[in-house]
Amino acid sequence: MVYKSQKIANWYFTIALFLFVLQVVMGLWLISNYVFTIPQEIVNVFPFATARAMHTNLLVLWMLLAFMGGTYFIVPMETESEIWSPNLAWFQLIALVVTGVVALIGFAFGWTKGRPLLEIPPPLNYMVVVGALVFLFNVGMTMFKARRWTVIQGTLLGGLVFLALLYLAGIPFYRNEVIDWYYWWWVIHLWVEGAWELVTGAIMAFILMRLTGVDRQVVEKWLYVEIGLFMFTGIAGTGHHYYWIGAPKYWLWVGGVFSALEPLPILLMVIDTMNHVRHRHAKIINPHTWTIAVGCAVFHMIGAGVWGFAHTLPQINYYTHGSQVTVSHGHLAFFGAYALLNLLVFYFAMPRLRGIEIYQPTRAKLGFWTMCSAMMLMGLTFGIAGVLQSYLERVLGMGYMTAQSYMRLWMGVTLVLGVFFLGGVLITVFDLLSPKAATERLD
Amino acid sequence: MTKKIAFWIFLLGTLSSAVLFLGLTVDTHRQVASLSHADKLSENVVAGKRAFEKYNCNDCHTILGFGGYYAPDLTKVVQRVGEDGVRYRVRHPEEAFAKSARKMPQQHVSEVEIENLVAFFNWVGEIDNGDWPPQDSKKRLSRSEQRLSLGAAVSPGAAVFQTKGCMNCHSLHGVGGTFGPVLDTIGRKLTVEQIEHYINNPKSVNPNAKMPPQTELSDRERDEVAKFLGNLK
Repeated sequence: MVYKSQKIANWYFTIALFLFVLQVVMGLWLISNYVFTIPQEIVNVFPFATARAMHTNLLVLWMLLAFMGGTYFIVPMETESEIWSPNLAWFQLIALVVTGVVALIGFAFGWTKGRPLLEIPPPLNYMVVVGALVFLFNVGMTMFKARRWTVIQGTLLGGLVFLALLYLAGIPFYRNEVIDWYYWWWVIHLWVEGAWELVTGAIMAFILMRLTGVDRQVVEKWLYVEIGLFMFTGIAGTGHHYYWIGAPKYWLWVGGVFSALEPLPILLMVIDTMNHVRHRHAKIINPHTWTIAVGCAVFHMIGAGVWGFAHTLPQINYYTHGSQVTVSHGHLAFFGAYALLNLLVFYFAMPRLRGIEIYQPTRAKLGFWTMCSAMMLMGLTFGIAGVLQSYLERVLGMGYMTAQSYMRLWMGVTLVLGVFFLGGVLITVFDLLSPKAATERLD
Repeated sequence: MTKKIAFWIFLLGTLSSAVLFLGLTVDTHRQVASLSHADKLSENVVAGKRAFEKYNCNDCHTILGFGGYYAPDLTKVVQRVGEDGVRYRVRHPEEAFAKSARKMPQQHVSEVEIENLVAFFNWVGEIDNGDWPPQDSKKRLSRSEQRLSLGAAVSPGAAVFQTKGCMNCHSLHGVGGTFGPVLDTIGRKLTVEQIEHYINNPKSVNPNAKMPPQTELSDRERDEVAKFLGNLK
């Protein structure tokens, strides 16, 4: 069943996909900067820093739009009602996209707040806040009017409110660099290891329930345990970013202990997903959507859980902090936990919004496996470069650029893998924008 | 397990972690004042921080390990290349990195901003941050220096050369930086005494020298490294 106002989600998804492609193109430019020597004249007008600001902000923007679109898709089904105001949903989409585009163009002309990942300068960042408030108001009103509360809805709304509140911590100018980083992580860490995990938990639970037909009570019970563990380990786990910034020494203990536990909720999510799939009551309609769900859980575990754990203990982090090891973890975790989650939502929702119940999965499979293999290998090549860097620069004390020269080969391999990844993304985006109905039933 | 118990797991898990985190946040604020020497946080330092953000330095460089990973970490940059080294690189990146595989953009940073940046980096370098990054730790370098010089094959001067950052700019037999001249046969051009003098104050020998005076070296270290280099013929 499709609610009329759900259709707005399709626009959020379409724009998000377009931004995703741009993000990956920017990524290819960034890795080229590592492999080739870019002439001074080009560096003067388009430095690495500008491209990186674009790469990361495109990531944030497309993921937030995808979360919002996903929310506008899920909330009508959960509340069994139309969205309170489709016009506000439209207004909010346009406001955020215009803000994002102006910000990206501004970066090219040096208009930046100069804080990594939070480069969007005032007054544009106030526009982001307005957009988020309109969104929360609209979603809140829909839920409030429907009065059909579920744990999934509550988790989703709670995660989104938490997400919006945390963004505020990144807005002021802090005079002290130490305090600045302290609150920078309230945005970045508490987003990806807090608020976004709540959103993820809710969306995964919703889709699993719909796909497998497992009883809501069972799904929601495990959702509580998952988000409880996410919050317990994630909030105090912020401490793993406070080891070397000039904060008190007890963060080594708090950060180390809590973040060592951070893989637990993810592991629970994997087990939970597998269990629901095994004990399904519904017939498999779109097997590929299942593949993405399981893939997302497993990749989430590898990228965020295993890779995160690998360098979260202070004894190891002392050498790997701020190296390509972080880059390896960042790519695997964002792709596994959030890009795949959003693609799962897209594959669940987009064909349906076009009236296609069963889609032809040929291109989808090709795109999915290309992306996943390329990204997994990129995680490894970035990781090798990172281990080399940690050893040569931090252990042996070699100069920065000398150590980098030994890493160049691996950056070259990453560039090739990046091209494959872009190929996978293009196939996926093309498939999502023009899905084909299956010609025969797949049982 | 019932749904109700699951709810309590969620509630208690979230609250206990949040209470701990917020409590430590209050205490961190108290301690950061002394750990970061907040009393020395002058207007120049703050202006330097603003310049650092204005030119988006942090999306190529890391500072305290955070930011872009494309260029060296700047936490201990003054200790590593000296105040003049910072000024020169910001003022003339096209010259400073002419031979480097990676370039730094010429952003036409004003002289006032450059001085503020130097003040900012000086202040950051003094933060008590658990002796990170390891490559700039004075403790560790002197240890590796000792270990190297204990090895029969390595002279104390070679150990100093390898561990005191000379190789960030200079190379020996193809290993090391490209910013400064190759020193493979420097002993043919300069005597031990001349090298020692040069290390002390490069500009007094060559007014165009870009090398900063190596004030970090002890007398013994300077003596040994000059002896080592003077014999490369």
